[in-house]
Amino acid sequence: MEETEQPTHDSAAAAAAEALDRKHSAMVERLSNRHHSRLSGKPDPSSATSFESTQSFLSQFSQSKSAIESDLTGIRHHSDPTQKPDLESISLQISALEKLVAESSYFLPPFEIRTCLNTIGHLRQTLDDVTSIVIPKKKFSFRNKPSKKTTTPIPPQNDAVFIEPEKKPGFRDLNPDHGFRNRENEVLTKEFNRSDSEIQIGEFTLSDLRGCEIRLKGCLRALFMDKLINCKVYVGVVMGSVLIEGAEDCVFVLGAHQIRIHNAKNCDFYLRVRSRPIIEDCNGVRFAPYCLNYEGIEKDLTEANLGVENGNWENVDDFRWLRALQSPNWSVLPENERISMVDTSNLGNVY
Amino acid sequence: MGLLSIIRKIKRKEKEMRILMVGLDNSGKTTIVMKINGEDTSVISPTLGFNIKTIAYQKYTLNIWDVGGQKTIRSYWRNYFEQTDGLVWVVDSSDRRRLDDCKYELDNLLKEERLSGASLLIFANKQDIQGSLSPDEIAKVLKLEGMDKSRHWKIVGCSAYTGEGLLHGFDWLVQDIASRIYMLD
Repeated sequence: MEETEQPTHDSAAAAAAEALDRKHSAMVERLSNRHHSRLSGKPDPSSATSFESTQSFLSQFSQSKSAIESDLTGIRHHSDPTQKPDLESISLQISALEKLVAESSYFLPPFEIRTCLNTIGHLRQTLDDVTSIVIPKKKFSFRNKPSKKTTTPIPPQNDAVFIEPEKKPGFRDLNPDHGFRNRENEVLTKEFNRSDSEIQIGEFTLSDLRGCEIRLKGCLRALFMDKLINCKVYVGVVMGSVLIEGAEDCVFVLGAHQIRIHNAKNCDFYLRVRSRPIIEDCNGVRFAPYCLNYEGIEKDLTEANLGVENGNWENVDDFRWLRALQSPNWSVLPENERISMVDTSNLGNVY
Repeated sequence: MGLLSIIRKIKRKEKEMRILMVGLDNSGKTTIVMKINGEDTSVISPTLGFNIKTIAYQKYTLNIWDVGGQKTIRSYWRNYFEQTDGLVWVVDSSDRRRLDDCKYELDNLLKEERLSGASLLIFANKQDIQGSLSPDEIAKVLKLEGMDKSRHWKIVGCSAYTGEGLLHGFDWLVQDIASRIYMLD
Protein backbone atom coordinates (compact mmCIF):
# COMPACT_ATOMS: atom_id res chain seq x y z
CA MET A 1 0.00 0.00 0.00
CA GLU A 2 2.62 2.34 1.06
CA GLU A 3 4.79 1.26 -1.70
CA THR A 4 2.18 1.97 -4.25
CA GLU A 5 1.20 5.11 -2.60
CA GLN A 6 4.68 6.41 -2.19
CA PRO A 7 5.48 6.60 -5.84
CA THR A 8 2.11 8.15 -6.65
CA HIS A 9 2.70 10.68 -3.96
CA ASP A 10 6.18 11.29 -5.26
CA SER A 11 5.07 11.55 -8.82
CA ALA A 12 2.25 13.85 -7.83
CA ALA A 13 4.69 16.04 -5.99
CA ALA A 14 7.07 15.93 -8.92
CA ALA A 15 4.27 16.83 -11.29
CA ALA A 16 3.24 19.68 -9.05
CA ALA A 17 6.80 20.94 -8.88
CA GLU A 18 7.10 20.64 -12.64
CA ALA A 19 3.92 22.58 -13.16
CA LEU A 20 5.13 25.24 -10.80
CA ASP A 21 8.40 25.40 -12.63
CA ARG A 22 6.64 25.74 -15.95
CA LYS A 23 4.43 28.43 -14.58
CA HIS A 24 7.43 30.26 -13.19
CA SER A 25 9.38 30.13 -16.42
CA ALA A 26 6.31 31.23 -18.33
CA MET A 27 5.99 34.14 -16.01
CA VAL A 28 9.67 35.00 -16.39
CA GLU A 29 9.28 34.81 -20.10
CA ARG A 30 6.22 36.98 -20.04
CA LEU A 31 7.99 39.50 -17.87
CA SER A 32 11.06 39.60 -20.03
CA ASN A 33 8.85 39.94 -23.08
CA ARG A 34 7.08 42.85 -21.54
CA HIS A 35 10.42 44.29 -20.51
CA HIS A 36 11.69 43.99 -24.07
CA SER A 37 8.63 45.50 -25.53
CA ARG A 38 8.90 48.34 -23.07
CA LEU A 39 12.55 48.83 -23.99
CA SER A 40 11.95 48.76 -27.69
CA GLY A 41 8.93 50.97 -27.36
CA LYS A 42 10.93 53.54 -25.47
CA PRO A 43 12.68 55.52 -28.22
CA ASP A 44 9.38 56.43 -29.78
CA PRO A 45 7.86 58.60 -27.11
CA SER A 46 11.20 59.99 -25.98
CA SER A 47 12.25 61.19 -29.40
CA ALA A 48 9.23 63.42 -29.43
CA THR A 49 10.21 66.27 -27.21
CA SER A 50 6.86 66.32 -25.52
CA PHE A 51 7.94 63.38 -23.40
CA GLU A 52 8.82 65.22 -20.28
CA SER A 53 10.89 62.80 -18.29
CA THR A 54 14.38 63.55 -17.13
CA GLN A 55 15.23 59.86 -17.18
CA SER A 56 14.37 59.33 -20.81
CA PHE A 57 15.99 62.59 -21.79
CA LEU A 58 19.23 61.58 -20.13
CA SER A 59 19.29 58.17 -21.77
CA GLN A 60 18.66 59.72 -25.17
CA PHE A 61 21.28 62.34 -24.53
CA SER A 62 23.93 59.83 -23.52
CA GLN A 63 23.09 57.64 -26.51
CA SER A 64 23.64 60.49 -28.97
CA LYS A 65 26.69 61.54 -27.06
CA SER A 66 28.38 58.14 -27.27
CA ALA A 67 27.41 57.88 -30.95
CA ILE A 68 29.10 61.19 -31.68
CA GLU A 69 32.12 60.24 -29.61
CA SER A 70 32.61 56.95 -31.40
CA ASP A 71 32.28 58.71 -34.77
CA LEU A 72 34.90 61.18 -33.70
CA THR A 73 37.38 58.57 -32.53
CA GLY A 74 36.77 56.68 -35.76
CA ILE A 75 37.67 59.71 -37.80
CA ARG A 76 40.61 60.56 -35.61
CA HIS A 77 42.17 57.13 -36.21
CA HIS A 78 42.33 57.25 -39.95
CA SER A 79 42.76 60.92 -40.50
CA ASP A 80 41.96 61.54 -44.12
CA PRO A 81 40.96 64.92 -45.56
CA THR A 82 38.08 63.43 -47.56
CA GLN A 83 36.14 63.09 -44.33
CA LYS A 84 35.18 66.72 -44.22
CA PRO A 85 31.49 66.02 -44.89
CA ASP A 86 31.52 63.54 -41.98
CA LEU A 87 32.86 66.25 -39.72
CA GLU A 88 30.16 68.59 -40.89
CA SER A 89 27.49 66.04 -40.16
CA ILE A 90 28.92 65.55 -36.68
CA SER A 91 28.80 69.26 -36.16
CA LEU A 92 25.15 69.15 -37.19
CA GLN A 93 24.53 66.31 -34.74
CA ILE A 94 26.07 68.36 -31.96
CA SER A 95 23.82 71.26 -32.88
CA ALA A 96 20.84 68.92 -32.79
CA LEU A 97 21.89 67.76 -29.36
CA GLU A 98 22.15 71.35 -28.21
CA LYS A 99 18.69 71.99 -29.55
CA LEU A 100 17.38 68.97 -27.70
CA VAL A 101 18.77 70.38 -24.46
CA ALA A 102 17.24 73.75 -25.21
CA GLU A 103 13.87 72.21 -25.91
CA SER A 104 13.95 70.13 -22.79
CA SER A 105 15.31 72.90 -20.61
CA TYR A 106 11.97 73.72 -19.08
CA PHE A 107 11.60 70.41 -17.27
CA LEU A 108 15.23 69.55 -16.58
CA PRO A 109 16.83 70.28 -13.24
CA PRO A 110 19.42 73.06 -13.53
CA PHE A 111 22.19 70.67 -12.66
CA GLU A 112 21.40 68.43 -15.61
CA ILE A 113 21.21 71.39 -17.97
CA ARG A 114 24.59 72.57 -16.85
CA THR A 115 26.14 69.12 -17.17
CA CYS A 116 24.65 68.62 -20.60
CA LEU A 117 25.82 71.99 -21.85
CA ASN A 118 29.27 71.18 -20.51
CA THR A 119 29.24 67.88 -22.34
CA ILE A 120 28.23 69.65 -25.54
CA GLY A 121 31.07 72.09 -25.03
CA HIS A 122 33.48 69.18 -24.68
CA LEU A 123 32.12 67.52 -27.79
CA ARG A 124 32.61 70.76 -29.76
CA GLN A 125 36.13 70.99 -28.43
CA THR A 126 36.89 67.42 -29.48
CA LEU A 127 35.36 68.06 -32.88
CA ASP A 128 37.60 71.10 -33.29
CA ASP A 129 40.64 69.08 -32.25
CA VAL A 130 39.80 66.29 -34.65
CA THR A 131 39.12 68.79 -37.41
CA SER A 132 42.50 70.35 -36.84
CA ILE A 133 44.14 66.94 -37.10
CA VAL A 134 42.23 65.81 -40.16
CA ILE A 135 42.19 69.07 -42.06
CA PRO A 136 45.55 70.75 -41.58
CA LYS A 137 44.72 74.40 -42.30
CA LYS A 138 43.57 75.64 -38.99
CA LYS A 139 41.35 78.35 -37.70
CA PHE A 140 43.29 78.87 -34.50
CA SER A 141 46.12 80.53 -36.29
CA PHE A 142 43.75 83.14 -37.66
CA ARG A 143 42.32 84.09 -34.37
CA ASN A 144 44.45 87.00 -33.35
CA LYS A 145 45.66 88.11 -36.72
CA PRO A 146 42.76 89.43 -38.77
CA SER A 147 42.04 92.37 -36.54
CA LYS A 148 45.63 93.45 -36.63
CA LYS A 149 45.88 92.88 -40.32
CA THR A 150 43.07 95.24 -41.12
CA THR A 151 45.13 98.18 -39.97
CA THR A 152 48.24 97.19 -41.87
CA PRO A 153 48.53 97.61 -45.61
CA ILE A 154 48.72 93.83 -46.21
CA PRO A 155 45.02 92.92 -46.67
CA PRO A 156 44.42 95.08 -49.74
CA GLN A 157 46.99 93.04 -51.65
CA ASN A 158 45.53 89.95 -50.16
CA ASP A 159 41.98 90.36 -51.29
CA ALA A 160 43.12 91.86 -54.56
CA VAL A 161 44.84 88.58 -55.22
CA PHE A 162 42.01 86.21 -54.45
CA ILE A 163 38.94 88.23 -55.23
CA GLU A 164 39.82 90.17 -58.35
CA PRO A 165 39.53 87.31 -60.85
CA GLU A 166 36.08 86.14 -59.78
CA LYS A 167 34.54 89.55 -59.42
CA LYS A 168 34.69 90.65 -63.03
CA PRO A 169 32.16 88.41 -64.77
CA GLY A 170 29.72 88.70 -61.92
CA PHE A 171 27.78 91.73 -60.91
CA ARG A 172 29.52 94.54 -62.71
CA ASP A 173 27.88 94.03 -66.10
CA LEU A 174 24.64 93.09 -64.48
CA ASN A 175 23.77 96.56 -63.49
CA PRO A 176 26.12 99.28 -64.69
CA ASP A 177 25.97 102.11 -62.23
CA HIS A 178 26.02 105.76 -63.12
CA GLY A 179 29.24 107.70 -63.06
CA PHE A 180 32.28 109.22 -64.69
CA ARG A 181 35.35 107.00 -64.92
CA ASN A 182 38.85 107.13 -66.33
CA ARG A 183 38.86 110.66 -67.66
CA GLU A 184 41.59 113.21 -67.93
CA ASN A 185 41.50 117.00 -68.24
CA GLU A 186 37.78 117.26 -68.97
CA VAL A 187 34.87 119.23 -67.71
CA LEU A 188 32.18 116.75 -66.70
CA THR A 189 28.69 117.94 -65.92
CA LYS A 190 25.52 116.20 -64.92
CA GLU A 191 22.17 117.43 -63.77
CA PHE A 192 20.00 115.36 -61.47
CA ASN A 193 16.38 116.10 -61.87
CA ARG A 194 14.74 115.77 -58.55
CA SER A 195 11.36 117.08 -59.61
CA ASP A 196 10.22 113.84 -61.25
CA SER A 197 11.07 111.68 -58.32
CA GLU A 198 10.41 108.43 -60.15
CA ILE A 199 13.50 108.79 -62.27
CA GLN A 200 15.53 109.94 -59.32
CA ILE A 201 19.05 108.76 -59.76
CA GLY A 202 20.28 106.79 -56.80
CA GLU A 203 23.98 106.47 -56.62
CA PHE A 204 26.67 108.16 -58.68
CA THR A 205 30.35 107.32 -58.94
CA LEU A 206 33.41 109.38 -59.79
CA SER A 207 36.39 107.14 -60.32
CA ASP A 208 39.93 107.48 -61.70
CA LEU A 209 39.73 111.11 -62.72
CA ARG A 210 42.74 113.32 -63.29
CA GLY A 211 42.74 117.07 -63.82
CA CYS A 212 38.96 117.18 -64.30
CA GLU A 213 36.32 119.60 -63.24
CA ILE A 214 33.09 117.86 -62.18
CA ARG A 215 29.82 119.68 -61.70
CA LEU A 216 26.81 117.81 -60.36
CA LYS A 217 23.61 119.76 -60.00
CA GLY A 218 20.45 118.80 -58.13
CA CYS A 219 19.89 116.06 -55.55
CA LEU A 220 21.23 112.54 -55.51
CA ARG A 221 21.11 109.79 -52.93
CA ALA A 222 24.65 108.52 -52.64
CA LEU A 223 27.97 109.62 -54.08
CA PHE A 224 31.11 107.50 -54.29
CA MET A 225 34.45 108.96 -55.30
CA ASP A 226 37.76 107.21 -55.61
CA LYS A 227 41.18 107.97 -57.05
CA LEU A 228 40.76 111.61 -57.92
CA ILE A 229 43.88 113.61 -58.68
CA ASN A 230 44.01 117.35 -59.16
CA CYS A 231 40.24 117.65 -59.66
CA LYS A 232 37.61 120.20 -58.80
CA VAL A 233 34.34 118.67 -57.65
CA TYR A 234 31.20 120.77 -57.26
CA VAL A 235 28.17 118.91 -55.99
CA GLY A 236 24.72 120.24 -55.18
CA VAL A 237 23.14 118.05 -52.56
CA VAL A 238 23.59 114.42 -51.59
CA MET A 239 20.57 113.25 -49.62
CA GLY A 240 22.51 110.32 -48.19
CA SER A 241 26.21 109.77 -47.74
CA VAL A 242 29.35 110.72 -49.60
CA LEU A 243 32.30 108.39 -49.56
CA ILE A 244 35.66 109.63 -50.79
CA GLU A 245 38.54 107.21 -51.02
CA GLY A 246 41.84 108.37 -52.36
CA ALA A 247 42.10 111.99 -53.45
CA GLU A 248 45.09 114.20 -54.04
CA ASP A 249 45.33 117.94 -54.62
CA CYS A 250 41.60 118.31 -55.12
CA VAL A 251 38.96 120.85 -54.23
CA PHE A 252 35.51 119.64 -53.16
CA VAL A 253 32.39 121.70 -52.67
CA LEU A 254 29.69 119.44 -51.27
CA GLY A 255 26.38 119.41 -49.46
CA ALA A 256 25.44 116.09 -47.85
CA HIS A 257 23.98 114.24 -44.90
CA GLN A 258 27.15 112.32 -44.16
CA ILE A 259 30.71 112.62 -45.43
CA ARG A 260 33.49 110.12 -45.02
CA ILE A 261 36.94 110.96 -46.36
CA HIS A 262 39.60 108.25 -46.60
CA ASN A 263 43.16 108.59 -47.87
CA ALA A 264 43.02 112.21 -48.97
CA LYS A 265 46.14 114.30 -49.33
CA ASN A 266 46.33 118.06 -49.70
CA CYS A 267 42.66 118.61 -50.44
CA ASP A 268 40.31 121.44 -49.58
CA PHE A 269 36.71 120.73 -48.61
CA TYR A 270 33.93 123.30 -48.65
CA LEU A 271 31.09 121.53 -46.88
CA ARG A 272 27.60 121.79 -45.56
CA VAL A 273 26.80 118.59 -43.65
CA ARG A 274 24.00 117.35 -41.43
CA SER A 275 26.42 115.34 -39.31
CA ARG A 276 30.09 115.43 -38.41
CA PRO A 277 32.45 114.88 -41.34
CA ILE A 278 35.07 112.23 -40.70
CA ILE A 279 38.56 111.69 -42.05
CA GLU A 280 40.68 108.55 -41.92
CA ASP A 281 44.26 108.20 -43.13
CA CYS A 282 44.28 111.77 -44.40
CA ASN A 283 46.96 114.37 -44.47
CA GLY A 284 46.93 118.07 -45.15
CA VAL A 285 43.18 118.35 -45.62
CA ARG A 286 41.51 121.68 -44.94
CA PHE A 287 37.90 122.59 -44.32
CA ALA A 288 35.72 125.61 -45.01
CA PRO A 289 31.99 126.37 -45.33
CA TYR A 290 29.97 125.51 -48.43
CA CYS A 291 30.13 128.03 -51.28
CA LEU A 292 28.22 126.80 -54.30
CA ASN A 293 25.50 128.47 -56.27
CA TYR A 294 23.31 127.54 -59.21
CA GLU A 295 19.77 128.21 -60.14
CA GLY A 296 17.47 126.36 -57.76
CA ILE A 297 20.13 125.44 -55.21
CA GLU A 298 18.11 126.95 -52.38
CA LYS A 299 15.30 124.56 -53.09
CA ASP A 300 17.63 121.57 -53.21
CA LEU A 301 19.30 122.53 -49.96
CA THR A 302 16.00 123.07 -48.18
CA GLU A 303 14.76 119.74 -49.47
CA ALA A 304 17.72 118.06 -47.84
CA ASN A 305 17.35 119.99 -44.58
CA LEU A 306 20.54 121.83 -45.39
CA GLY A 307 18.98 125.25 -45.88
CA VAL A 308 20.85 126.83 -43.03
CA GLU A 309 24.54 126.77 -42.30
CA ASN A 310 24.96 124.64 -39.16
CA GLY A 311 28.69 124.93 -38.59
CA ASN A 312 29.29 121.19 -38.88
CA TRP A 313 31.90 121.73 -41.58
CA GLU A 314 34.50 122.29 -38.88
CA ASN A 315 33.41 119.50 -36.51
CA VAL A 316 35.73 117.06 -38.12
CA ASP A 317 36.46 113.67 -36.49
CA ASP A 318 39.79 112.14 -37.34
CA PHE A 319 39.67 108.39 -36.82
CA ARG A 320 43.44 108.33 -36.85
CA TRP A 321 43.68 110.85 -34.05
CA LEU A 322 41.56 109.84 -31.08
CA ARG A 323 42.77 112.47 -28.67
CA ALA A 324 41.45 115.70 -27.32
CA LEU A 325 44.22 117.67 -28.99
CA GLN A 326 43.62 119.07 -32.46
CA SER A 327 44.57 116.50 -35.08
CA PRO A 328 47.63 117.42 -37.15
CA ASN A 329 46.00 115.89 -40.21
CA TRP A 330 43.41 118.58 -40.86
CA SER A 331 42.87 122.27 -40.31
CA VAL A 332 40.42 125.06 -40.94
CA LEU A 333 41.16 126.75 -44.22
CA PRO A 334 42.25 130.36 -43.50
CA GLU A 335 39.69 132.82 -44.78
CA ASN A 336 42.05 134.63 -47.10
CA GLU A 337 42.87 131.39 -48.89
CA ARG A 338 39.27 130.32 -49.54
CA ILE A 339 37.81 130.40 -53.00
CA SER A 340 34.92 132.73 -53.59
CA MET A 341 31.39 131.56 -54.34
CA VAL A 342 31.35 129.09 -57.24
CA ASP A 343 28.49 129.44 -59.69
CA THR A 344 27.70 126.43 -61.85
CA SER A 345 24.48 127.82 -63.33
CA ASN A 346 25.78 127.54 -66.87
CA LEU A 347 26.50 123.90 -67.33
CA GLY A 348 29.37 123.30 -69.67
CA ASN A 349 30.96 126.68 -69.19
CA VAL A 350 34.24 126.92 -67.45
CA TYR A 351 33.61 129.80 -65.13
CA MET B 1 -0.43 71.72 -16.45
CA GLY B 2 -1.36 75.08 -15.12
CA LEU B 3 1.77 75.27 -13.07
CA LEU B 4 3.94 74.14 -15.93
CA SER B 5 2.63 76.77 -18.27
CA ILE B 6 3.18 79.44 -15.63
CA ILE B 7 6.73 78.27 -15.15
CA ARG B 8 7.30 78.36 -18.88
CA LYS B 9 6.00 81.86 -19.14
CA ILE B 10 8.25 83.05 -16.37
CA LYS B 11 11.24 81.43 -17.98
CA ARG B 12 10.51 83.14 -21.25
CA LYS B 13 9.97 86.49 -19.69
CA GLU B 14 12.84 88.95 -19.48
CA LYS B 15 14.85 86.92 -21.88
CA GLU B 16 17.81 88.92 -23.04
CA MET B 17 19.59 88.58 -26.31
CA ARG B 18 22.85 90.16 -27.21
CA ILE B 19 23.10 91.31 -30.78
CA LEU B 20 26.19 92.61 -32.50
CA MET B 21 25.85 94.89 -35.51
CA VAL B 22 28.88 95.03 -37.75
CA GLY B 23 29.74 95.82 -41.35
CA LEU B 24 31.84 98.24 -43.35
CA ASP B 25 31.58 101.95 -42.67
CA ASN B 26 28.75 103.71 -44.48
CA SER B 27 26.61 100.56 -44.57
CA GLY B 28 23.92 102.04 -42.32
CA LYS B 29 24.29 100.15 -39.04
CA THR B 30 23.46 103.06 -36.77
CA THR B 31 20.61 104.16 -39.00
CA ILE B 32 19.08 100.68 -38.81
CA VAL B 33 19.24 100.64 -35.03
CA MET B 34 17.81 104.16 -34.75
CA LYS B 35 15.07 103.40 -37.23
CA ILE B 36 13.99 100.22 -35.50
CA ASN B 37 13.93 102.11 -32.24
CA GLY B 38 11.79 104.84 -33.80
CA GLU B 39 14.33 107.63 -33.54
CA ASP B 40 15.24 110.43 -35.93
CA THR B 41 17.60 109.11 -38.57
CA SER B 42 18.36 112.32 -40.41
CA VAL B 43 21.30 113.45 -38.28
CA ILE B 44 23.62 110.54 -37.71
CA SER B 45 27.36 111.00 -37.67
CA PRO B 46 29.71 108.17 -38.58
CA THR B 47 30.14 106.13 -35.41
CA LEU B 48 33.31 106.88 -33.52
CA GLY B 49 33.39 103.95 -31.12
CA PHE B 50 30.10 102.20 -30.47
CA ASN B 51 26.50 102.65 -29.35
CA ILE B 52 24.44 100.33 -27.18
CA LYS B 53 20.68 100.25 -27.46
CA THR B 54 18.36 98.17 -25.32
CA ILE B 55 15.14 97.48 -27.14
CA ALA B 56 12.10 95.50 -26.04
CA TYR B 57 11.26 93.33 -29.01
CA GLN B 58 8.33 90.94 -28.83
CA LYS B 59 8.86 89.21 -25.49
CA TYR B 60 12.59 89.62 -25.55
CA THR B 61 15.00 92.31 -24.55
CA LEU B 62 17.55 92.99 -27.23
CA ASN B 63 20.88 94.46 -26.28
CA ILE B 64 22.12 95.81 -29.57
CA TRP B 65 25.78 96.69 -29.86
CA ASP B 66 26.33 98.91 -32.83
CA VAL B 67 30.05 99.10 -33.49
CA GLY B 68 31.68 101.62 -35.82
CA GLY B 69 32.82 100.24 -39.15
CA GLN B 70 35.62 102.61 -40.14
CA LYS B 71 38.76 100.75 -41.12
CA THR B 72 40.72 102.14 -38.20
CA ILE B 73 38.33 100.76 -35.62
CA ARG B 74 37.46 97.42 -37.21
CA SER B 75 40.27 95.90 -35.20
CA TYR B 76 38.23 96.62 -32.06
CA TRP B 77 35.28 94.53 -33.20
CA ARG B 78 36.80 91.53 -31.50
CA ASN B 79 36.29 93.17 -28.13
CA TYR B 80 32.56 92.74 -28.57
CA PHE B 81 32.41 89.10 -29.64
CA GLU B 82 31.91 87.52 -26.23
CA GLN B 83 28.41 86.22 -25.46
CA THR B 84 26.98 87.27 -28.80
CA ASP B 85 23.71 85.50 -29.62
CA GLY B 86 23.02 87.16 -32.92
CA LEU B 87 25.27 88.75 -35.52
CA VAL B 88 23.90 91.34 -37.93
CA TRP B 89 26.13 92.02 -40.91
CA VAL B 90 25.08 95.12 -42.79
CA VAL B 91 25.95 95.60 -46.46
CA ASP B 92 25.65 98.81 -48.47
CA SER B 93 23.99 97.35 -51.57
CA SER B 94 24.80 100.44 -53.61
CA ASP B 95 28.54 100.28 -52.97
CA ARG B 96 29.74 97.83 -55.63
CA ARG B 97 33.33 98.85 -55.43
CA ARG B 98 33.80 97.73 -51.85
CA LEU B 99 31.90 94.45 -51.96
CA ASP B 100 35.27 92.71 -52.07
CA ASP B 101 36.28 94.41 -48.84
CA CYS B 102 32.91 93.47 -47.48
CA LYS B 103 33.41 89.79 -48.28
CA TYR B 104 36.92 89.84 -46.88
CA GLU B 105 35.81 91.31 -43.57
CA LEU B 106 32.82 88.99 -43.27
CA ASP B 107 34.93 85.91 -43.95
CA ASN B 108 37.35 87.02 -41.28
CA LEU B 109 34.57 87.54 -38.82
CA LEU B 110 33.05 84.13 -39.40
CA LYS B 111 36.35 82.44 -38.65
CA GLU B 112 36.06 83.81 -35.15
CA GLU B 113 35.40 80.99 -32.72
CA ARG B 114 33.56 83.09 -30.21
CA LEU B 115 30.94 83.83 -32.86
CA SER B 116 30.60 80.26 -34.07
CA GLY B 117 27.26 79.70 -32.39
CA ALA B 118 25.70 83.03 -33.30
CA SER B 119 22.84 83.30 -35.76
CA LEU B 120 23.81 85.44 -38.73
CA LEU B 121 21.48 87.96 -40.31
CA ILE B 122 22.74 89.79 -43.38
CA PHE B 123 20.99 93.02 -44.22
CA ALA B 124 21.33 94.07 -47.86
CA ASN B 125 20.69 97.67 -46.94
CA LYS B 126 19.88 100.69 -49.11
CA GLN B 127 17.50 98.80 -51.38
CA ASP B 128 15.61 102.08 -51.82
CA ILE B 129 18.51 103.55 -53.80
CA GLN B 130 18.00 102.96 -57.47
CA GLY B 131 20.68 100.75 -58.95
CA SER B 132 21.41 98.84 -55.75
CA LEU B 133 22.26 95.17 -55.97
CA SER B 134 19.52 92.75 -54.96
CA PRO B 135 19.90 90.47 -51.93
CA ASP B 136 20.37 87.51 -54.28
CA GLU B 137 23.19 89.21 -56.11
CA ILE B 138 24.84 90.08 -52.83
CA ALA B 139 24.46 86.53 -51.54
CA LYS B 140 26.24 85.40 -54.68
CA VAL B 141 29.12 87.84 -54.31
CA LEU B 142 29.55 87.04 -50.63
CA LYS B 143 29.28 83.31 -51.40
CA LEU B 144 26.85 82.75 -48.58
CA GLU B 145 25.81 79.33 -49.85
CA GLY B 146 29.32 78.08 -49.27
CA MET B 147 29.19 78.85 -45.59
CA ASP B 148 29.71 76.31 -42.83
CA LYS B 149 26.62 74.08 -42.74
CA SER B 150 26.01 74.48 -39.04
CA ARG B 151 25.61 78.25 -39.29
CA HIS B 152 22.07 79.59 -39.14
CA TRP B 153 21.91 82.49 -41.59
CA LYS B 154 19.53 84.55 -43.66
CA ILE B 155 19.89 87.48 -46.03
CA VAL B 156 17.20 90.14 -46.09
CA GLY B 157 16.91 93.16 -48.34
CA CYS B 158 16.06 96.30 -46.43
CA SER B 159 16.13 100.05 -46.37
CA ALA B 160 17.02 101.82 -43.17
CA TYR B 161 15.84 104.98 -44.90
CA THR B 162 12.25 103.80 -45.37
CA GLY B 163 12.30 101.08 -42.72
CA GLU B 164 11.34 98.38 -45.18
CA GLY B 165 12.52 94.87 -44.37
CA LEU B 166 13.98 95.71 -40.97
CA LEU B 167 11.29 94.00 -38.91
CA HIS B 168 11.28 91.01 -41.23
CA GLY B 169 14.99 90.56 -40.60
CA PHE B 170 14.84 91.05 -36.86
CA ASP B 171 11.83 88.73 -36.57
CA TRP B 172 13.83 85.96 -38.13
CA LEU B 173 16.90 86.66 -36.00
CA VAL B 174 15.02 86.76 -32.72
CA GLN B 175 13.04 83.64 -33.58
CA ASP B 176 16.15 81.76 -34.55
CA ILE B 177 17.99 82.72 -31.39
CA ALA B 178 14.98 81.90 -29.26
CA SER B 179 14.58 78.44 -30.68
CA ARG B 180 18.25 77.76 -30.13
CA ILE B 181 18.79 79.24 -26.71
CA TYR B 182 15.43 79.03 -25.09
CA MET B 183 12.68 76.78 -26.26
CA LEU B 184 10.37 76.24 -29.13
CA ASP B 185 6.80 77.38 -28.94
